[in-house]
Amino acid sequence: MSEDLRTTYKGRLLAVKDLPTLPTALQEVSRLLELPNTTTDQVAKVISFDQVLAAKVLKMVNSPIYGFPGRIGTVKHALVLLGFNVIRGLIISTSVYDDMNRAMRGLWDHSVGCSLACGELARALGMKDPEEYAVAGLLHDLGKVVSALQLPEAKARVDAVVKEQDLLYIDAETQVLGFGHDRINAWLAEHWNLPPAIREGMAFHHKPMSARIYPQMACVVHVGNFMARLFEYGSGGDDNVPPLSPHALKLLGMNQRSLEALLDTLCEKFADAGELGFA
Amino acid sequence: MSTRPLGFGEAAAADVPRCWLVTADGCLAATVRALWAADGGPSAMPGITPRPMDWRVFDNGRAVLEQFFLDPPDLLLVSAALPDMSGVSLIQLVKGENVYRQVATLLALNVADAPGVAGVDWQGVEADDFMVLPAVPDAGHAPLPLPLATELRARVELALARAGRALDASPLTKLPGNTSIIKYIQGLIDRRMDFALAYADLDNFKAFNDKYGFSRGDEVLMLTARLLATTVREVRGQPAFVGHVGGDDYVFVTPVDQAEDACRRVVGAFDAIVPGFYDADDRERGAIVAHDRQGQVRTFPLMAVSIAVVCNRPAAGFALAHYGEASYRASQVKKLAKDRTGSCYVFDRRQS
Repeated sequence: MSEDLRTTYKGRLLAVKDLPTLPTALQEVSRLLELPNTTTDQVAKVISFDQVLAAKVLKMVNSPIYGFPGRIGTVKHALVLLGFNVIRGLIISTSVYDDMNRAMRGLWDHSVGCSLACGELARALGMKDPEEYAVAGLLHDLGKVVSALQLPEAKARVDAVVKEQDLLYIDAETQVLGFGHDRINAWLAEHWNLPPAIREGMAFHHKPMSARIYPQMACVVHVGNFMARLFEYGSGGDDNVPPLSPHALKLLGMNQRSLEALLDTLCEKFADAGELGFA
Repeated sequence: MSTRPLGFGEAAAADVPRCWLVTADGCLAATVRALWAADGGPSAMPGITPRPMDWRVFDNGRAVLEQFFLDPPDLLLVSAALPDMSGVSLIQLVKGENVYRQVATLLALNVADAPGVAGVDWQGVEADDFMVLPAVPDAGHAPLPLPLATELRARVELALARAGRALDASPLTKLPGNTSIIKYIQGLIDRRMDFALAYADLDNFKAFNDKYGFSRGDEVLMLTARLLATTVREVRGQPAFVGHVGGDDYVFVTPVDQAEDACRRVVGAFDAIVPGFYDADDRERGAIVAHDRQGQVRTFPLMAVSIAVVCNRPAAGFALAHYGEASYRASQVKKLAKDRTGSCYVFDRRQS
């Protein structure tokens, strides 16, 4: 593809404003914010089920105006630093997708599934900050959401290609746009000053061995994405399961047994998440 | 004592702003005299009860300067046209000196003056506000009509409040600085209000600053400021206040029964968030390895916040006499906090 076209696409994607979301979590957060004894933990838990709300609070707390861009990687910390006043403003200004776009539901569920898997995996591997891994998992397909909103005509063509050729969504994206949502993720994460670890998780979950600073993060999101697809938890936009990189498993020190143990834990986790009503 | 309205303690007399008017406009002078009647009694203007201010009126610029440089007032209201110099140059003279920049300055323009408002170089003057007054035939000595007088009073009060806010605030965190902190706390003491005063500072901030540079050090100062601000904002009831003394020193004020909860939240959040400000290897190690001043290799643990809390509870017999006592007691308590490793808070034991 021409460099010009790519620059045009990038400009349109990064111009995204007022990213809408699905009503479920939004309404629950609004309800919590009206109660007198709500804690940040309660609000953080709900926002962790919505990739758009999570992206918004992280984008805000990492914006230069607060003075520490790229430092905050968990929803809970973001909420503590933003305070209820700012969160309330953010929630009020967030709009909801109309009925036509409720088809996005599958993508929201898939992101929650990936987030749960990443958090669980990070815990099982004894990582220091499993919450950050969960956030990277939650945001790993944000590029799909932003491109659907900013490049709707391309989105229609990607969907058609997925259907006609039975491709992975990312391969169809590359065919139509010349780049995939992983690239869009990298642009967004950089533009929004998200922490480097989260940026690498979002940008390299399809090519985990290309991550330069935080390969562990990329590998965890890679495996988490595979798990969510395997369980058919939500929908990533196509019916295929992306290949699991043996290098990623090796880098994380995982084998058949630890993989199976993870699958067992996730079975319960996914069932619990379903009961909460945000998935 | 307890029946006194809030905001008018014994300290109020010293707290009355000193304002100077420099004008040859008899109408403006009459308005100021009428608005803030010199006897401190009810204002001569019907329907207006202004906050008391101590006004002095000068009719030319030179008379003002020496007194000004020795003992500047809180506010200067200057007519653009003075007999001996222009009001603009008087204001420039004052605002050009860093030690006098805190003085609020208002420029009074007359519609008859050429070239009027459009002719003023606002970038260069550094006045804080202006008023446009009507042309007066033959040097009138009657006060301005009521709407204009009301506006003048409002502009004077706003300029005073704004000057207090703007110059005192930390340029980095925009939190109120030392003067505001002292004024606020002394005000609570004078009104015999219950409050908890917390002093927070950071351990191992210097080692962090030395290794990562000032810019990342500033990030941590911003983080700390924001954390205190949101924590105190969500505290129930009054008083609630956060100030930035400077460097890594902060104070915050909460109701006595909320203080421990606020400290616990600050300490917990700080310890959870601050590792993200280190590079991965230091974060993993949980420390910075560096040379100390003697050239010895030393390890400095990750930064921690320590908080010393002093309470004022006059009704229960624990009354602080003045701000100085509060800060002295806090520094004593702080030594206990510093003996511990990691983030912590310590309450003044005399009072618990």
